[in-house]
Amino acid sequence: MGHAAFRLSGIVKDFPGVRALDHASLEVMPGEVHGLVGENGAGKSTVIKVLAGVYQPEAGQIEVDGQRLSPATPLSVHAVGVRFIHQELHLVPHFTVTESVFMGQERTARLGLAKREMRRAAEAFLRDALGLDLPGNRLIRDLGTAERKLVQVARALIDGEAKVVVFDEPTAPLASNEVDIVMEAIARLKAQGIAILYVSHYLSEITEICDRVTVFRQGETVGVFDTITDASAGDLVFAMVGRNITDMFPPKGSRATGRGLEISGLTDGAKFAPLSLSVGEGEIVGIAGLIGSGREEFVDTLYGLRRKTSGHVTFDGSPLHIATAAQAVKAGLVLVPRDRRHDGLVLPMTVTENATLATLEDNATAGIENRKAARTATEAQIQALDIRPPNPDAVTRLLSGGNQQKVVLARWLATSARIFIFDEPTVGVDVGAKAEIYQLIEDLAAKGACIILSSSDPVELQGVCDRIAVMTRGALVGELNAGEITVDDLVAATTGAASLAEIRDAG
Amino acid sequence: MSSTSAPSGPFANIFLRFGFLIVFAAFFALFAVWNPVFVQGGNLMNIVEGSAVLMIVALGMTLIVATGGIDLSIGIALDFGAAFAVVAMKTYGLDWFGAACAGIIGGSLVGLFNAALVVGLRISPFLATLSTFFIGSSVQRIFTNGGGPISHRRMPEEFRNLALGQIAGIPTEAVIAFVLAVLYFLVLERSIWGRRIHAMGMQRSAAVVAGIRVNRILLLCFVLASATCAVGGLIAAANIRMFTPLSGFSYLLDAIAAVFIGAALHPRGRPNIPGTVIGVLFLGMVANGLNLMGLNFNTKDALQGIILLSALALAVAQRKARNG
Repeated sequence: MGHAAFRLSGIVKDFPGVRALDHASLEVMPGEVHGLVGENGAGKSTVIKVLAGVYQPEAGQIEVDGQRLSPATPLSVHAVGVRFIHQELHLVPHFTVTESVFMGQERTARLGLAKREMRRAAEAFLRDALGLDLPGNRLIRDLGTAERKLVQVARALIDGEAKVVVFDEPTAPLASNEVDIVMEAIARLKAQGIAILYVSHYLSEITEICDRVTVFRQGETVGVFDTITDASAGDLVFAMVGRNITDMFPPKGSRATGRGLEISGLTDGAKFAPLSLSVGEGEIVGIAGLIGSGREEFVDTLYGLRRKTSGHVTFDGSPLHIATAAQAVKAGLVLVPRDRRHDGLVLPMTVTENATLATLEDNATAGIENRKAARTATEAQIQALDIRPPNPDAVTRLLSGGNQQKVVLARWLATSARIFIFDEPTVGVDVGAKAEIYQLIEDLAAKGACIILSSSDPVELQGVCDRIAVMTRGALVGELNAGEITVDDLVAATTGAASLAEIRDAG
Repeated sequence: MSSTSAPSGPFANIFLRFGFLIVFAAFFALFAVWNPVFVQGGNLMNIVEGSAVLMIVALGMTLIVATGGIDLSIGIALDFGAAFAVVAMKTYGLDWFGAACAGIIGGSLVGLFNAALVVGLRISPFLATLSTFFIGSSVQRIFTNGGGPISHRRMPEEFRNLALGQIAGIPTEAVIAFVLAVLYFLVLERSIWGRRIHAMGMQRSAAVVAGIRVNRILLLCFVLASATCAVGGLIAAANIRMFTPLSGFSYLLDAIAAVFIGAALHPRGRPNIPGTVIGVLFLGMVANGLNLMGLNFNTKDALQGIILLSALALAVAQRKARNG
């Protein structure tokens, strides 16, 4: 075996209060597709940034093509042929394919730009190297997501110097039929002898495309797997989370049925029609629906983030007046928002600051904070919810998705809220933390809270909820009993492939 | 993504950590060596006394910057404070206390107007307070028939003492500034309201979802900041026994500079009261020191600009060093 296309060894990277990488190593051979997997917070993005020269590690070596880079800087890494395909596309919608491919690296002729030459080169590269026939004068905004992804790839590789290509979650925004286009392109790059590092949450893709897989857990390399088969995918998950996730969903408890939350005729007058729904105490009610079904707007209106034009909401028979989020919180109705990094947390603040934001009065005397009390209360929450790192002073920006979500939850658990809305609670959350969040939701229900779970994940809805309300095109079309349907039924209902009556009859 | 990397080495580390304080000390030493008068007690007290009004205005500015906005009309609030107080004494014959209250109410009107624009009409603080600045300037010109000062020779002694008196041997204006700074520190850095103000300033949407009443906070902050600036106006009027229209503007840019020097000193880059106090004293020291060096006063602004840039550049380097 020749030497590796690149090799990271003994990499240590510290952030305030967090050791993100702890002697991590990673090696990719030329002509290999190498998977990198791990839970959120395992150090995947950090190691990529170390390789990119964006972060300077505290210790460790970076070798590319047998040559040691010290220090690795974005320029030196680029110079030795390492290319990054970031998750975000960074393409200008009204540029053509050719302009996008050559942006910042235009070729010039004697008089101005060599437009024809660039167009030929861009089209040839897309066709020969990536297997995509695309006219160079098409506008980016007219392309599908997978095609845009390949334009992004072409832009990174058009100079022909690439030896290592890092794909960071390349298929995350793609529909399932588009994934194949990207997979095909990656296979072609591999055949050209390029080393590929493939970072993804989707284990099915990893097993399909990768020759070897490196698993990270808590900043360490815990294993390198050769030739993954579907049969060994379980071993992979075990290596990632350090334990077997035998059952992702907790068993559903027996439900109390107090009157709880009753919503009648609620509407924002624009995005969803008047909607009625009841959630008993101790009950978990799901909201299913595609993007544009009005699901998000319903949640926002219920929480007072959007103006309602009519309808009313009661809890145990007494009316709740909610026109602002502050009034919702006061009424004991709280939201774990879908955009956690934007709406859920004040990212520059610490875990303590975020976790106590809704209960500041509880840790204060005459308006002056008792920081010790706030810290102690937060330490208890950190332990109860297993927030990692267990540091009340850690800045939340640096936590992984699952741990950030737990901090949001910790804030609401400190209040006396009785009604919880979870909006996409596990998006960007790894497998292990997912199971923990489901357990926390189940625990809340067992204590008699009313729970609304709005989600785009049918598996999650079917696994966690008692009842599921289905929304399509801005209207609630009916409810399904989670125990009587399959995940496929739910998908059929949200996409309109089958009516609810058909599903109930079949069940 | 940038290709520059943070400097390293023991000296660089120390400099990054305490950079601004080292610069502060270096300037102090330079002025002291150049002219020993600089370090005499009397002169140091001059610096503190001369910085009092700017300090008061900068406190209000810190509050607004902490909410995530900016207030370009603090000078107007200062002018209104002075004008209302002088007119209350001269035309309506109020005593010093009535005049002080009138001044603070007059300044608060400016804050209320800002809040109406920002909260009610959802105009960005920058543009809203810029409009207030234009309108307020014009109002003063109209009221004074073109900008002539309103002097009040027989100003009550108690009112004059706001600027000229002493409490326990310390100039009253410095005492007022100090007391306000302590109150602001308690509110912004130690109280639950301060926590909410910082939260909304850093990430407003998250503060809203957390149940914080951001509009109420904005309203209170704009009124409080203007009322505070009006106190500065009282002192300015007491000092020269007159109201000089449009004089508040001269504090605006210094106050912004002091607040951002202070934010640069904070480990997480937050606007904060101790930092603002240091920023104000630093600007006061530089002005005073240059004066004693006999340097052309015109160089003061250039130096101030360089200092502000250095502080901000240092802060960026520090954050980079911390985050790798």
